[in-house]
Order: sequence, then structure tokens, then C-alpha cells
Amino acid sequence: MNGFMKEYFRRNGMLLGWTLLFLVGFWVIMLIILPQISMLDFSFRNHLPPPEMGGPKDTYTLVNYKFLIFGAQGNEDGYNKVDLLVFLRTLIAAAFVTILDLLICYPIAYYLGQSKGGGYIRILVLLLIIPYWINEILRAFAFRIIFGDSGVINEFLMLFSIIDSPIDFIRANIALYAGLSYAYILLMIFPMYNVIESLDRNQIEAARDMGASWYMIHKRVVIPFAKPGISSGCTMVFMLSAGALAAPQILGGPSSLWFTQLIYQWFNQGGNWPQGSAYAVVLLLTCIVIVLSVMRIFKVNMGDIGK
Amino acid sequence: MKTESPLIRFGLAIYLVLFFTYLLGPLVLMGITAFNSASFPQVTPWEVFSFEWFTTLFNDKRILSGIGNSLIVGFFTVILSVAMGLAGALMLTQIWPKLRATFYTVIIAPILIPGVVLGISTLVFWDRVNIMLGLSDDSFLRNGIFLTVLGQATFISSYCMLVFVARLQRYDLGLTEAALDLGATHVQAFRKIQLPFLMPAVGSAAVLAFLASFENYNTTTFTFQDYPTLTIELAQKVRYGIDPSVSALAFIIVVITVFFALLNEVKTRRAQLAIANGAPVGAVSGSFKMPGFFSGNPAAVVLTLFVAVVVGTIAYSQFYDPEPAKAVLLKEKRAAQQLRIKALQERVRLQRLEKKLKGPDIFGSGNSKVPQPPSKSASPFGNVFAPTNLEKAAGTNKDEKKPAPKKPGTSAFGNVFAPTNLEKAAPKE
Repeated sequence: MNGFMKEYFRRNGMLLGWTLLFLVGFWVIMLIILPQISMLDFSFRNHLPPPEMGGPKDTYTLVNYKFLIFGAQGNEDGYNKVDLLVFLRTLIAAAFVTILDLLICYPIAYYLGQSKGGGYIRILVLLLIIPYWINEILRAFAFRIIFGDSGVINEFLMLFSIIDSPIDFIRANIALYAGLSYAYILLMIFPMYNVIESLDRNQIEAARDMGASWYMIHKRVVIPFAKPGISSGCTMVFMLSAGALAAPQILGGPSSLWFTQLIYQWFNQGGNWPQGSAYAVVLLLTCIVIVLSVMRIFKVNMGDIGK
Repeated sequence: MKTESPLIRFGLAIYLVLFFTYLLGPLVLMGITAFNSASFPQVTPWEVFSFEWFTTLFNDKRILSGIGNSLIVGFFTVILSVAMGLAGALMLTQIWPKLRATFYTVIIAPILIPGVVLGISTLVFWDRVNIMLGLSDDSFLRNGIFLTVLGQATFISSYCMLVFVARLQRYDLGLTEAALDLGATHVQAFRKIQLPFLMPAVGSAAVLAFLASFENYNTTTFTFQDYPTLTIELAQKVRYGIDPSVSALAFIIVVITVFFALLNEVKTRRAQLAIANGAPVGAVSGSFKMPGFFSGNPAAVVLTLFVAVVVGTIAYSQFYDPEPAKAVLLKEKRAAQQLRIKALQERVRLQRLEKKLKGPDIFGSGNSKVPQPPSKSASPFGNVFAPTNLEKAAGTNKDEKKPAPKKPGTSAFGNVFAPTNLEKAAPKE
């Protein structure tokens, strides 16, 4: 370790070496590690008014986690069904959005990756990126215009008398799923596109010459090759939709909350920070466990994420 | 792709159309609603083409101050993120090999951590630090801009780091070594050799960081305190009652985005053309020659047209007055309302008539004077036009003076917006 430091300063010099160390140290320690630890620590504490913090009552407790599982004390029900249900529904819905995005994006990623480039493809890529530059809130807003009671879809269906009265897409959560999959399309396409682009076209040609069907080519050649891209895209979309806050707030039905909305309520409306921290820790750990196990199942490395 | 069967190619074409409709349709529709004078963002029913929502937008103080806060936060976030991202990327190339995987996991993790969690942890941590240092409640550690910048920089630095890592892979460390051998100090070698090489990456990392900061919601919503950014203001607006001025803002953002995308495309193509022609890039991009600018560069043509349309629209909006068209629309609405009232009167009359005909047999004569309320779902013209009704109605005109009850709610104007009426309502110049 000592030799490494010597080598490091020999290569970078004192001033540059310390600047780099300071910047990286600030980022890793002050912005990434300590805040997470502090949140974890906070989640084990009692909810106290500021003057009592650090006092005798400020002890470690499991009360915040107990609340998530068992509900308020004296709850006869046994479990905190409302919050647990929201939690479960968030995870299932996020998985659903991820699968939906995968199905929508695989063909276009394959098409873009295997075409030979040129102006036409460049325009398509440009069109892909433009929606991603528009604010998240505005994208959700667009979906509210479309799916509202007097939105385009309802008006259209009623114009042709397919339905008599407007369908409540917002209550049915259709608007939410459409908005969420829309928001993360690009994050699904690009990892897949990058991998498929590097697939040698001759492999597909060879498979076709040997008589492989269209389905078999994808199953045996393209998908195994694109696996790092697919799992990288799926990981990002799953994490982001499970952690989404804006789209559920704007597009979510009145009766269906997203788990992040519960966290938001504990912080901004309930004012109970330790409780909110506990919920945030649960969300974070669950997401990490799910992503790591999916990566283990599909045998993908952390290094493939973010390519 | 040429060997695919026609069926697959046809399916692919349909899929592409559907995909891009899904991708761009919402934005196009949202843009259209910005020009509809109706007070709820809608495409149908179309009222009058107007620019009034842009005026509303430019007079909205909260939106304007939100933009100001966003720019301040964006500025500091870009500086901090680019610096930390660059430092992280440089460190990654030099770090002890055994530590490299761990280090990479740690600095890539913020991308995967939910934004909500980042916001909370930033808030909680700096609040703790504030208490530990014994500072007052309004110290800079609790300042909204300070917290927001740090919260955003946590994950935006990771994006920047990825951009730098990609560029650094093509950097030849021998260049720095050579500079050092020739007597340059480490700082000089970095500034004169390595930084110029990384400059394109610095540019794209900065743009990426600014965009990410500008549109961030999840982290900012926990840290903004007294300095709501544009995204926060928009979210408040959208959650509690929406009006088309949000569409107007979206329209402006889309226009700006398309402009820069086209500009970038023009530049790229010009560079490609230059390379194809064997000329150095500077020789082509340096001088602005009208014919040369357009030749073989369709993106430039599109860009010019686009700018012309935008400038034209802005100029047009200065003297365009939607009032006459609005007056026409109002007139039509009134006329339609009259028609509607008449139809209702007719229907009520018919219902009474029917009652009178049937009444004595079933209910006795007492009931015949009670008019039935018009049912909501039935067509306003009911069965006025059924031939049998006409015959029945022909004889008696007694109840005509009875005023018809107005239908509640917006549906009262339902039929005004039938396709044929739309043409009539369109602004006449």
C-alpha cells in the first residue's frame, strides 16, 4: 500500500495528486458512503423533537422497521397490510414495466444495431434521444393530457362510438404504466443497442444459411450475445421505476400509492424522518438484493452496468 | 435485412411507426394543446388558435424564479460533477488493481440508488453534521441550494465519470510521460497534454450534467428547502390543477431541444463531409459559405427551415389577435346553446305529450303534469325525429312555453364540436 502511494504521487505530482485524492475522497466519503450510513443510523432511532436529540431518549430501536411490518402498536391486525401491500405492488409494477420496456425495445435495438448506419438511422437515433431531454414532469404531464377523461384517447374512442362514457385510465393505472415505460425507454435501448451493434453480422448469416428460423436466430445467437446489454438495461429500468416518484404522483390513481410516495409522505407531510429513513433503507436493500440476484442468475458482472 | 421476407419487413415497418408514435406522439399532442385557447390542456374540442398561454407562462413569477434557481443549481452541479467525475475516472485508471472493482462499484452505485434515497441521505447527513458542529438552523449546511447541489452531484458525477472513462481508454499515457521527461511539471503536463485531449469529453459531460440537474425531481424534492427549482414548481403546478401554460413551457423546451439536436447534427455531418473530402475539419467549418453550407447536408437545410418557422411564429404571435376568432366561437357556442335549449324544450314537450297519451290509462290524470327530467345519457334530440313522434306532435302545441331545464356541466356543449362545426370555428383571417 505504501509503495502504491509513492508510485501514485510520483506519477501525478503533489499538487495534482492531492487534488485528485481530495475530489474523489469528498465524493466517495462525504457524498456516497457517509450519507448512506447516516440514513441507516437514523432509521434505527426514535422520532424525537430536535432538543431531545442526543439526549437520554435518543437510543437505538427497531420501532421504525416494526411499524412497516406490524403497523402501529396495539394493532390487532398483526401486520401493516396497507404499507406492505403498497411495497409489494410497487415491486411487481416495476417488474411489469421492466418487462414491457424489454418487449418494446428489443426489436428497435436489434434493428438499429444491425442496420448499416447512414443518415436514416442517425435520424432515428436523434428522434430516440429528443424525448429524453424533456423534463420528467412534462413527460408525465403529456400522458395526463392523453389519458385524461377528456383526453385524446377517450375523445377519439367516443367520436367513433367505441365507448359511451370516458374510460378512467388514471384510476386503472394504465396511464401510470404507459408513462413509466415511456420514461425509461432510452435506458433500455442503449445498452442493448451497444451490444448488438458489436455482434458480427456473419454469425446471423451463418445461422440463416444453416437453415435456422427467424425465431431460432434470436434465441440461439442474438439474445445470448446481447445478455449483458439486456440485463444492464433491465437493472436500470427496474431500479428507476421502483424508485420513481414524479410519475406516480402525477399519473397514479387516487387509490394506488407507490412506495416512494409513502417515503415522501413521512418526510414532507408526516415530518417523521426516522420512519421515512427506515422505509428508504428497506427500498434500497430490496432493490439491491433483487438486482444482485438477477445479475447472479444471468451471470452478468457489475462492470457491464452503465456501459 | 435484405434477405428478410416481405412479411417481416412489413411487420417491422408497422412496428417502427407504432414505436415512434408512442415516443413522439405525446410530445406533439402536448405541443398542440399549448395553442388551444381552452382553459384545460386539450386537443379536442379545439377552440381558438392562440398564443395566450405563452403570455401566461412569461408572467408566472414562480416559474421564472424556478428557472433562476435551476440555473444556479445547474451551474454549481456541473462544476462539481465534472471535477469529481474526472477525478474518479483518473483514479480508476491508476488505483491499486485489487481495489479497482470495489472502487468502481462504489462510484457507479449512485446511478442505481433510487433518487429518493439519495435525497433523503443527503438531507439527513448534512442535518447531522449541522447539529454536530453546533450551527444554527439557517446555516449554509441547511441551505436548499447547497443541499440540492450535493445531492444531485452524488449521482451526476457517476454519469460524468462514465463519459471520461470512455474517452480515457483511448489516451496514450506515454504522452504525459514524454511531457514529464521534457521537463514539464505534473500540473503543466495535465493542463497542456491530458486536459486538451479530454476536452470533448468535458464538453459532453457538462451538457449531460446540466440536463440531468435541470430535470431532476426525485432527489431535489427532498433537498430544495426555500429554493424550488423549475422541476419542483412544475410538479406542484401539475399536481394541483393544470393549465396549458405548462404545455407552452414544454413546447418551448421541445423547440430548444430540437434546435440543438439539429445544430449538433449539422456540425457532425460537416465534419464527416470534410473528412470524406480529405480536407481538415477547420478548413470547412471555419468559413461560412452559403452553397457549401447546404451541399450534401440535409440536416443544415432542415435546421434553417426550422429556425425560419420558429422566427416566423414568434413574429406572427406579435400581431396575431385571437379575439375575432374567439368572438366567432362564442357566437357559435351561443347559437348551439340556443339550439340545444330548443331541442330540450321540444323533448320535454314530447315527453309530456306522451304522458298525456298514456297517462290516463296507467297513472291516472294526476301525474300528467309532472315533467320528467331529461336523462343524461340520451342524445339531446332524443326521439324527436322518429316519424311517429312527428305525427303525434303535429296536433298539440299547448306546452311550448315551458322553459327547459339546462343540462349541468360541460356536456351541454357536446355537439358544438362535431367535425363539421370545427371547420366553421377555425380562425378566419
